[in-house]
Amino acid sequence: MRRIFTVWTLLSVLVCASQAQSTGSSDSETIKELMQEIKELKTRVAVLEARQGQPAPEQAAAKPAEPVQETPSAEGQTLSPERISGIFPGIRMAGFGALSYKANDARPPEAGLLGFRSGNNDFAIGDVDLFLTSHLTSKASVLSEVVFSENSEKEFELDVERLLLKYDFNDYLKLSFGRYHTATSYYNSVFHHGQWLQTAADRPLVVEFSDHGGLLPSQGVGVSITGKIPSGSLGLNYIFEYGSSDIHRPNILDPNADEIVENNGHATTIGLFARPDWLQGLEVGGSFYHDRINPDGGPFHLGQSIGSAHVVYLTPRFEFLNEGFIIQHIIEETGQKLNTPAFYSLISEKLGAKWRPYFRYQYVNAPLQSPVFSDVQLRHGPSIGVRYDYNDYIAFKTQYDRTFRRQLPDINNLLLQLAFRF
Amino acid sequence: MRRNWKSIIVFVALLSLGAGCVISAQSKEEDVAVIVNPQNSLESISSAELRKIFAGEKLSWNSNTPIFMVVRAPQAHERDILLSRVLKMTESEYKQYWVKKVYSGDVPREPLALLSNGMQLEAVRAEKGGIALISLADVRQGVKVLKVDGKQPGTAGYPLK
Repeated sequence: MRRIFTVWTLLSVLVCASQAQSTGSSDSETIKELMQEIKELKTRVAVLEARQGQPAPEQAAAKPAEPVQETPSAEGQTLSPERISGIFPGIRMAGFGALSYKANDARPPEAGLLGFRSGNNDFAIGDVDLFLTSHLTSKASVLSEVVFSENSEKEFELDVERLLLKYDFNDYLKLSFGRYHTATSYYNSVFHHGQWLQTAADRPLVVEFSDHGGLLPSQGVGVSITGKIPSGSLGLNYIFEYGSSDIHRPNILDPNADEIVENNGHATTIGLFARPDWLQGLEVGGSFYHDRINPDGGPFHLGQSIGSAHVVYLTPRFEFLNEGFIIQHIIEETGQKLNTPAFYSLISEKLGAKWRPYFRYQYVNAPLQSPVFSDVQLRHGPSIGVRYDYNDYIAFKTQYDRTFRRQLPDINNLLLQLAFRF
Repeated sequence: MRRNWKSIIVFVALLSLGAGCVISAQSKEEDVAVIVNPQNSLESISSAELRKIFAGEKLSWNSNTPIFMVVRAPQAHERDILLSRVLKMTESEYKQYWVKKVYSGDVPREPLALLSNGMQLEAVRAEKGGIALISLADVRQGVKVLKVDGKQPGTAGYPLK
């Protein structure tokens, strides 16, 4: 009797369980169907909203759509490209910020830059970067980068770093008008003010923004033309820029010295680079920049030519950046030539999902008699660091630099940074 | 009797497990088609070209029409295929890649991410330069399916499965 009862109980449990399962699966199917219906209705609402905003009878007549099985009411109707592109219309905004802590043993203390006071340890916000884009048509867009830069007095200054009206005819001809970051270096073209975007905690000195002590004219106002060159698997691209810039460089050696104002004339940049199909992530190229400067409005006028070459291998997990420069100044009044060679090299690899150790070596050797880089002189040395990506928005970086200088004590520098985007 | 019951329970459990695996494998191996607007003259595309398009390295069709990339939102089968077969990136790497790409000014926007294949179809039908990846079973009229590396979806050797 006991055995019969046990079997009956087991059978009941099995039957109940199977019924519950079938009810569960049928419920889940119903939910799926309802979810699908909701999604379809959402699409219909988007379509109808777009249609209401822009009736385009000629276009609709010229482009009849096939019957839509899932959404029958959409028959014979289409959206204009501008409307569908603008499913999320208006200005799109992204922001980048960072909190950094720097400690070093520079003797005497060097100038405070990027929000750091001139001294041996300090916290700084640096640059707060607001990036705005807006799509005007399927080929035209506006890009803007507005930066609130912290100075050594802990005050913020507003700077429109980039403001571009862009028009892309096709892959071979893309025009930009406005304020741009010059193509004098690969780094300047690819990495802008958001510190979250770059692996290291700071930029190499040669490609640092000129208002933070960098050597290259990082900004220009004018026209920029870029595009592909038909070259098959070689993947050749060109860039041409013509505009003017007005570079103000702080004296990085002396915190009390005035800025060096270059009084630049119109500048021309031409560049060529290849992204071959046979090795994804490889880019090899170079650029040439020329303008005429009159440092601090003084007696000398200089022809400034900057040649650069880069070999870069960049994949989501591996980064190998190498870039070399020769900055030549020819003093027109005396004919004297002053060459400033520079390079940086950075290698990093992602370990696991979050860690990215990196190593960088940089070198700059500016002549002492240079009217614009006399504060820089010889500086070279390694940086070693690690980046930890907490998630897709927040990264923590720790970096140690050692800088060797000619006839001056070496500098040890520790930089901790919490970089984020929002 | 007890041994019989045990055998039945074990058999039923194994059967359920097997059926689940078959269903799961079927859905995972479903071919993903590349669809474009019917006005697009293209009939076939190479894997390399597809990668260039979804990596934002090629931004316009040969007719100068801007390419309008449409992708599925995360966790969809089509999104997995895009990341694993076409771009060879993780979800996180994909997001970082596009933030950097848009921010550098190379591309005006990241691909439009949509919640359903119905929405993808709608977008590709409406947009002359539209391109999307969609499960073959969900392909409907009003879009053109491209061959990939000369293979039709559903045939042996098709790369997006």
